[in-house]
Amino acid sequence: MFAVDWIALRTLLSKEVRRFAKVWSQTVVSPLVSTSLYFLVFGVALGSRLRNVGGVPYMEYVVPGLIMLAMINAAFLNTSSSLFQSKINGTVVDLLVAPIGPFEMLVAYLGAAMLRAFIVGTLVYGVAAAFVGPKLAHPGWTLLFSAAVTASFAALGLISALWAEKFDHLAVVPNFVLTPLTFLGGVFYSVQMLPPPWDTLSRLNPILYMVNGLRYGILGVSDVPPGRALILLLTLLLLILAAVARLLARGYKLRS
Amino acid sequence: MTPPALRCDQVVKRYGDFCAVDRVSLEVDGGEIVALLGPNGAGKTTLIGCITGLVNATGGTITVFGQDVRRDFRTARRLVGLVPQEINFDPFFTPLESLMIQMGLMGQRPDRAWCEELLDRFALSDRRDAYTRHLSGGMKRRLLVAKALVHRPKLLFLDEPTAGVDVELRKSLWDEVRRLRSEGTTVLLTTHYLEEAEELADRIAVMRRGRLLVVEPREAMLARGQGRSLEEIFVELVHSEEPPCSP
Repeated sequence: MFAVDWIALRTLLSKEVRRFAKVWSQTVVSPLVSTSLYFLVFGVALGSRLRNVGGVPYMEYVVPGLIMLAMINAAFLNTSSSLFQSKINGTVVDLLVAPIGPFEMLVAYLGAAMLRAFIVGTLVYGVAAAFVGPKLAHPGWTLLFSAAVTASFAALGLISALWAEKFDHLAVVPNFVLTPLTFLGGVFYSVQMLPPPWDTLSRLNPILYMVNGLRYGILGVSDVPPGRALILLLTLLLLILAAVARLLARGYKLRS
Repeated sequence: MTPPALRCDQVVKRYGDFCAVDRVSLEVDGGEIVALLGPNGAGKTTLIGCITGLVNATGGTITVFGQDVRRDFRTARRLVGLVPQEINFDPFFTPLESLMIQMGLMGQRPDRAWCEELLDRFALSDRRDAYTRHLSGGMKRRLLVAKALVHRPKLLFLDEPTAGVDVELRKSLWDEVRRLRSEGTTVLLTTHYLEEAEELADRIAVMRRGRLLVVEPREAMLARGQGRSLEEIFVELVHSEEPPCSP
């Protein structure tokens, strides 16, 4: 029978939130600063030369992509660093001996990571709004895309932490997967600006759909139909959640 | 009939061809203190891991107060406390926070007064708000014991709790184990200090190469030596004939 230990779930969630809150300058302010720099360089410096993209001023156009970039990183790093550190310093034992199932672990880790990502995303949005004014074309879509993307990357962070045996392993996904896919995922440009075959190839990149989904939510414009992007994202999320739940249930690289 | 505090029945743990725990069967009654002895690599920690959920046993069954540790893992784990062999600490939290968190993780509403009482009992009160990374080795070891006790387990595993600690702390941990027994807690401890087993244990078990060689009341074990020390008996036991690993 499916059972949930709500006290344990709440405790783990609260522990994970307090963990990132205790180092807020690193977990919240740092991504805000780096994303603001992107915004200043690509938006303010280059934006004046590029004018409009898809009928939107370039400075506005890059905002959703930068918010998505910051949220993806925050969600992924929160779960991956927390679980991996507990494996390295041995405190994962505290979890393994507790009457906690995969559901509690998944919900608590994902909940904390999503909260951190939403805080970071909101702050970046606030900075952008100070430059280009507040824009929120479709709040519901914005929330949906943000939730689906942050949950997906938080779960990917868990998989990465489970698999990693040393710090080098932990850096593989952010360095060799996340960063290239994000930069090639239409954060700073529209795929319609690309010549063939790059425009078609770009459509194989799932981050393109995430960025454009949020762009639709915030600005009301997108390179891809938002409904199709959402279905793709939710399918991806379900697959990732199923994978991580299975790994946690097996105790993959946690229980020998 | 009351089920035993711990029942291991033909427990096996294999890592490929290596047999870390080989058909171990053991029963521990409520309120007993059992010392599990054995040389390094004998399988003591792996066996404890199989019971506490750190290790997935390859075969056999384990119950804690009648609860199967795999099928009824939630109930079983609430009954068990573990002081792991390796010192671990979460650098983000203070001793008081660590205890409150562990109590919640074990499914109990965090009780600040009880956590403070535990800190007091383990002489950590004056460091309760310091980050755990700033504690001394002995303090971290005491915090581990306090964490294992925070949910008031009925069965406590102490995996080499006094390894590398000074004499004073060792004696205070012994006092704590006696106190737990007087409160009805069942204790299974592994140790390399034979005087510890002699001092505390009701029964002594010896493992070697994954096999449980002998489990006897302390007096019976000492009587084997006909006046020789437990150390001599132990050396003789672990150097007896090679037990083959089961196929």
